[in-house]
Amino acid sequence: MTIAPALTEPVLDDLRQVVGGEHVLTDRAARFNRARVPAPFPVHRWSERVPDLVVLPGSTEEVSEVVRIANAHRIPIVPRDGGTGLTDGAVPLRHGIVVDVKRMNDIKEIDEVNRTCTVGTGINMLKLNEVLGRYGLIYPDDPASYPCSLVGGRIGTSGWSLIGSRYGHSRDLVLSFDFVLPTGRVIHVGDGAGRKLSKSSSGYQLKHLFMGHQGTLGIATEATLKLYPKPEAELSPFFAFPDYDSAYRAVGELARAGIATFAGAVLFDEWKVDYLRRDDEAYIPQPADVRALVCAVAYGYEDEVVAGGRRLMRIARDNGGRYLGDEVSEGDWAARHDRYATPLHGRTLAGQVIPMSWHCEDAAINYTNLPQVRLEWHEIVRRLRERFDMFDDWGMFAYTSADTGVDYLTEIDVGIWEQRLDDESWAAWVQAKKDIAEVALRYGGSISACHGSCREGEVDLVPQELGGGYDVMLDVKRALDPNNIMNPGKYGLDRAYEPEAGGAR
Amino acid sequence: MTDISPHDTGSLPSPNGDGGSGATGEFVQQWRNAAYNCFSSGHKFCREVCPVMQVTRNESWTPTAFHANVVAMEQGELQLTDIADDYVNCTGCGACELRCPNTLFTGDFYRFRTRTVDLVKAMRALAVDQGIHQPGWQRWNLLTDERSHEPVLGEVPVSQDHVRDWSQGLDIPVGGESILFVDCEAAFYRTSVPRAVAQILRRAGYEFGLMNEQWCCGGPAAEMGYLEQSQRFARHNLDDWRAGGVKRVLVLDPHDYITFTEDYPKYFGEEYDIEIVLVVELFAEMIADGRLAPSVPIERTITYHDPCRLNKRKGIWQAPRQILSAIPGLTFHDVDRVTQWSYCSGGGGGLPIEKPELTARISESRVDKAAQLGVDTLVSACPWSERPLSEAGDAKAIDVVDIHELLAESLGIEVGGRRGQ
Repeated sequence: MTIAPALTEPVLDDLRQVVGGEHVLTDRAARFNRARVPAPFPVHRWSERVPDLVVLPGSTEEVSEVVRIANAHRIPIVPRDGGTGLTDGAVPLRHGIVVDVKRMNDIKEIDEVNRTCTVGTGINMLKLNEVLGRYGLIYPDDPASYPCSLVGGRIGTSGWSLIGSRYGHSRDLVLSFDFVLPTGRVIHVGDGAGRKLSKSSSGYQLKHLFMGHQGTLGIATEATLKLYPKPEAELSPFFAFPDYDSAYRAVGELARAGIATFAGAVLFDEWKVDYLRRDDEAYIPQPADVRALVCAVAYGYEDEVVAGGRRLMRIARDNGGRYLGDEVSEGDWAARHDRYATPLHGRTLAGQVIPMSWHCEDAAINYTNLPQVRLEWHEIVRRLRERFDMFDDWGMFAYTSADTGVDYLTEIDVGIWEQRLDDESWAAWVQAKKDIAEVALRYGGSISACHGSCREGEVDLVPQELGGGYDVMLDVKRALDPNNIMNPGKYGLDRAYEPEAGGAR
Repeated sequence: MTDISPHDTGSLPSPNGDGGSGATGEFVQQWRNAAYNCFSSGHKFCREVCPVMQVTRNESWTPTAFHANVVAMEQGELQLTDIADDYVNCTGCGACELRCPNTLFTGDFYRFRTRTVDLVKAMRALAVDQGIHQPGWQRWNLLTDERSHEPVLGEVPVSQDHVRDWSQGLDIPVGGESILFVDCEAAFYRTSVPRAVAQILRRAGYEFGLMNEQWCCGGPAAEMGYLEQSQRFARHNLDDWRAGGVKRVLVLDPHDYITFTEDYPKYFGEEYDIEIVLVVELFAEMIADGRLAPSVPIERTITYHDPCRLNKRKGIWQAPRQILSAIPGLTFHDVDRVTQWSYCSGGGGGLPIEKPELTARISESRVDKAAQLGVDTLVSACPWSERPLSEAGDAKAIDVVDIHELLAESLGIEVGGRRGQ
């Protein structure tokens, strides 16, 4: 692998001038280690995704200068935050420069009165909350990757939070941010002239446009976030059900109850329970009639959580749920980030333990369509598994996205024996992803509630999902990134630059 | 342990390469399953607890990268020369191993535990074996080999003639069934620590002597990749113990404790039947059963630094807290041991020798956390942490004191010696 022709010594010198020589990394190990995200990919094709170099800027100004240089020389830029996404947003498809923002992790301000903080986007939420905790505050953005993902990545992917039904998701929690456009120009995105408004109706509402673009429109560098009082009490009862249908009814009623402290409800289907029985000490001893699980979560002051919790417990029991006890309930919820996705859960068809990568295919699905989507998705994975014994069905979750129970982050977890993926099985997996996305759209859902949808397989269906909106995406991309340098190759946006590409029709 | 049993995945065939031949190939074969267990997880939950990552924010220097590199070697994408230097950037604290979901949630069931510290040591040893040296480490180990002790005093030579100087005036005999082993840093640099330990032992009526001809434990050489030297030093020490009829070695330094309880058993197998006693545990026991009764009030506001090798690598966190709770006069702002998984002095794993600037940043970050608690004193139980922490503490007016020094003071002992230079 060679450095891209455009990356001549004078360009490298310019970059070193901007960020300092020690923050321009050209060695092979630095580049290989910034080619990956957790989403499985054939290991033998690793080198296809390796960038030419990595820069570690320390400020918005430095990011802006780096982008300006790249734009002048038409060198691809790939923003990288935590690198924990599952749709390859941070994976370089055309080599170029990875702009890794992890050094920009300062807490610039904590405003206790207006309940905001302003941070560099390279900060991790857990680390931020360690500091905010001293003020009795919390930034409640809680993805599965909470211990390692970064605020900037949450902006770039418009992240989904496990407790979003109570506190909102990244798009609700991020008030505003500084943003470097593909030309190097810096704008401030958010409501109002300052940094700290949660609602204005002046002008176009640009915040949503610049969240969830998977790095194709630029790089967020500094963000102002909404803060809440650190909750005094947490309740996370787990209930066992004898079948999926009763668990499904219960989760619907829990979510629709309108309890103010309600932070989310989760449904585990039969496949997921079987999977837990493989090695999870909380579930191995459960009786055979435990076939589905529901967890409901509440946060707030103790008196309100106790009152709301009584109602949640009653609803679950009225629907046939059996409370699994404090230890399982508290332990499982506390382990929500770590527990379900370690490689040793993997099994071949014959039951051999294999280190498999966890991959979660997600969608946004309305409550009424969950049962059908579930059956069709399992069938897709079953067929895949029949052909290639390097995939494993790890079951499904459905999590409430909102406080009314309207829609659910729906995911099927698939174990993939990544090191065995060859071109044929990879192609079959890509097709399976497409089939999974197709089911979501057929039921009026979205390809993704959580990860984004720019990975091979699912990405082909994005124009179908967005319709005329996709043409607007092409127009926006071309207008903001005239040279297609910002994370090129993602979301099929190359077609914005094809000669026949017209405007929105 | 890198094998997975009883559900052994076996030796998985390598699809694209063998990672090279000879020692490198063997290394890749040995570590590939463990590397894939990390690579396939991809979670990176280890990242924000890693002391080096916290201050450098460089993803090349993370436990994830250290494992992924092995996969890349197997694929023929990276050579040892591409990565050897990166493995300098580890203090061997073990936080990543504890924070790994593989260890936390499937470890017991599959009898698997992520072993990043061993991987880093093995990679460093492979580098040295293949003639790739870090200049600071090479010089350090050369001097250690010449003098049989680490050159902890810089230009001031250390030697066999001076290894017992710390005990001047204490009239400690040489030999006996129980001997006190004093690491290089404490023996030559922070001599107040062994003086405190020796006098507390004496106060409790515990019979002990000094080693006949004590050499460096060899642990630091192993950490920096100089395995042959480490084994040679270990051999000398074990032979010396046997010749003197030693049955029990008292250890005050957590690094020695790791070396004697993990490295020596690997080197010597069945032959190694020496009992290793960590004095901080012994003192907690002596306080509990009344052999020690600290009574002189010490008016300090303190917090306790969990030394990585005690807390993260050996699970020893209760005994030091029991000691501190028994000392009258202290106002103790404790930080729990799990929060302290992400704390480190930066003093371990040879980092201060090769990258002193990183050690300084890590210890500054640790002292900052203490300063936020409004304490005047940071108590540690590891001599190797106390030098960088003291340097960082000076800037914040925080005194760094060893737990044994503090206990001795509360027992009314005039410790003597030096707390550094």
